Amino acid sequence: MTADTAAPPAAPTPTGRSRADRILEAVLTQRIVLLAILIVVVVGWLMYLSANGYLSADYDFDYMSAVLIDAVPLALLAFAELVVIVSGRGGIDLSVGAMVSLIGMIFGFAYGQWGWPLPLAVLLAVVVGAVLGAVNGFLVARIGFPALIATLATYYAYKSIAMVINGQKPINSAQIQELYSLTKSVELPVIGPYIPNVPLGVFTFLIPVLVVLWLALGRGTYGRRLYAIGTNDVAARWAGVDVAATRMRAYVTSGVLSGLVAVYITAQFASARPDAGTAGNGLALPAITIAVLGGVAITGGIGRIAGVLLAALLIVWLNAGIILYFSGNTGTQFQLLALGVVLILAALLNGLTTRRFGGGD
Amino acid sequence: MSTTLDPNASPAAAPVKARGRVLPAPVTPPEIALIGVLVVLWIALAAATPAFLSAGSVIPLLVEVAPVALIGIGMTFVIITGGIDVSVAGAIMVCSVITGKLMRDNAIPLWLCLVVAVATGAVLGLFNGVLIAYGRVHAIIITFGTANLFLFIGLRIFGSTPIAGMPNTLAWFGRGVDGRTVGVPNSFAITVILTAIAWWYLRHTPGGRHFFAVGGDPVAARLAGIRVQRRILTAYVITGLLVGLASIFTLAKGTSNLDQSVGSGQELAVIAAVVIGGTSIMGGRGSVLGTLLGALLVQTVKSGVIQLGWPSQLSDLFVGVFIVVAVGTDLLRRRARREP
Repeated sequence: MTADTAAPPAAPTPTGRSRADRILEAVLTQRIVLLAILIVVVVGWLMYLSANGYLSADYDFDYMSAVLIDAVPLALLAFAELVVIVSGRGGIDLSVGAMVSLIGMIFGFAYGQWGWPLPLAVLLAVVVGAVLGAVNGFLVARIGFPALIATLATYYAYKSIAMVINGQKPINSAQIQELYSLTKSVELPVIGPYIPNVPLGVFTFLIPVLVVLWLALGRGTYGRRLYAIGTNDVAARWAGVDVAATRMRAYVTSGVLSGLVAVYITAQFASARPDAGTAGNGLALPAITIAVLGGVAITGGIGRIAGVLLAALLIVWLNAGIILYFSGNTGTQFQLLALGVVLILAALLNGLTTRRFGGGD
Repeated sequence: MSTTLDPNASPAAAPVKARGRVLPAPVTPPEIALIGVLVVLWIALAAATPAFLSAGSVIPLLVEVAPVALIGIGMTFVIITGGIDVSVAGAIMVCSVITGKLMRDNAIPLWLCLVVAVATGAVLGLFNGVLIAYGRVHAIIITFGTANLFLFIGLRIFGSTPIAGMPNTLAWFGRGVDGRTVGVPNSFAITVILTAIAWWYLRHTPGGRHFFAVGGDPVAARLAGIRVQRRILTAYVITGLLVGLASIFTLAKGTSNLDQSVGSGQELAVIAAVVIGGTSIMGGRGSVLGTLLGALLVQTVKSGVIQLGWPSQLSDLFVGVFIVVAVGTDLLRRRARREP
């Protein structure tokens, strides 16, 4: 963004560096290391507070496992932002929250009112998500809209349709209310008795998505192409990559993930709400925050799934502790503070490491 | 405009003939198109609901436009430098809750309200500006973060209840009879005057042109001797100052109550107005006149949808479509002329 004409300072000479220096560099440049340390510190501190009776309920492994129910939608949407931001050229998707609202309503119609079987209704949600994402992708990749503008426009449009489609009323028929069983906590077979019960959504939504994304981005050719166009799309074009199609697919992925989150949130709240993804701050803002905190460079081409996953866990466990420390509304207010401070510090740190070590994680 | 155009001259040769003319036309083609759309909309709405052009409908419309268009001026500066500010909603909340509480508890006079609101806005803008200009982080990330911070501060000052029973100190900026001069709402008149000043400043002073240079190419701007960081900082402080003034308008147009939803969604409304007005989100190009027209268009659609008896949320769909059409035609027009 800003001008930086000065040459980057010469990299520290490798000879004669102490172990402390190398550890510092690892912490600063390897976002995963930093996040892992932060998680240990935050969780340890909260457990210490809990043991001394400062919290209104026990902060233990059972509680940490139960709040994973909130980590699933956050992590999925943060993955969506990861894919879109990595695709480069100012990639960002402001419309994920509005897509969640709209797809949730359509899923609610299909499953709750038209009586479709669940697998078919979920498939419909995913297909609608792909179509909505393809609209974003078409505007950005084919016509050349700046992503911020295209997804701002579709944010407005999708949000409006979601509100109007059922006259601002939620859908909570009996079928939808029974969906809550999709997200309840379960005891695992074999090792179950020894570890806390885990919300079912972790296995039905988070882990499958994680595996598919890891295969596609980390092991597949699609990932290579995506990181290539995000780093330098002119060079990628000369290397024979179909830039527009690759970028288009990033936005379609974001729509598909929003579709899954729509199903999940409908189940979690036992109701398809027209403002599910846009109420208050919306879902897009926390998702982008977590992606950036997870080490995704807003300029594209840099970002890893593991970092984003750790960032989502950090935010969810921190928020869960804040809720126990403060009572009532105060807790949600301090969650805003935490999110803001963490985002700004992460961004400043990204800038610092880039300048000091040239290119972050 | 050169009058002796050679009919055989290729378009590429035209800039050579118009040597020395670096300014775009006073009113650009997108702005003329916007004016056309506005006129057509007004005629159509007036035909559909005769009440649309009555004073009882136009004056509330202008009062509603004022804060969005006012912040839009600052946002135009910010976007011209290549940045963005999504923390506006939180900043409005902080400014209006501080001013509202002082007004209710200490009965401070009008001028002090203005000073408090504008000073608070300036501090918040300065905070954004310092982080963005000297932290060298992309503006959208920083302002997403400060948006949360400002919301936190605003909600903490609110406490758990809305502010009720504010005195009528700000009636001069309000929608009532006290708030009009020869029939025009004062808040809208102030917005138009400030837009005119900003328009002249951006077009006709070296300081104003520097903002375009910074947004067009910061490295080249620095080599040309422009203090890039200071220009960027200034843009956010201007936005902060105008957010303060807009908070006064927001306080004045409401009832004697102020609740926690104040400012909510305004950041996107302002960005939509700026973008519909033809300012390029990539920086280096834009005009405050377009922003004013964009804000008018958005508000016309909102009040038109309500007066036609449609669901009010439907107006957002039209806003989205307007953004796509406005930016899309601009993109295609430039591509046809092979401009960047």
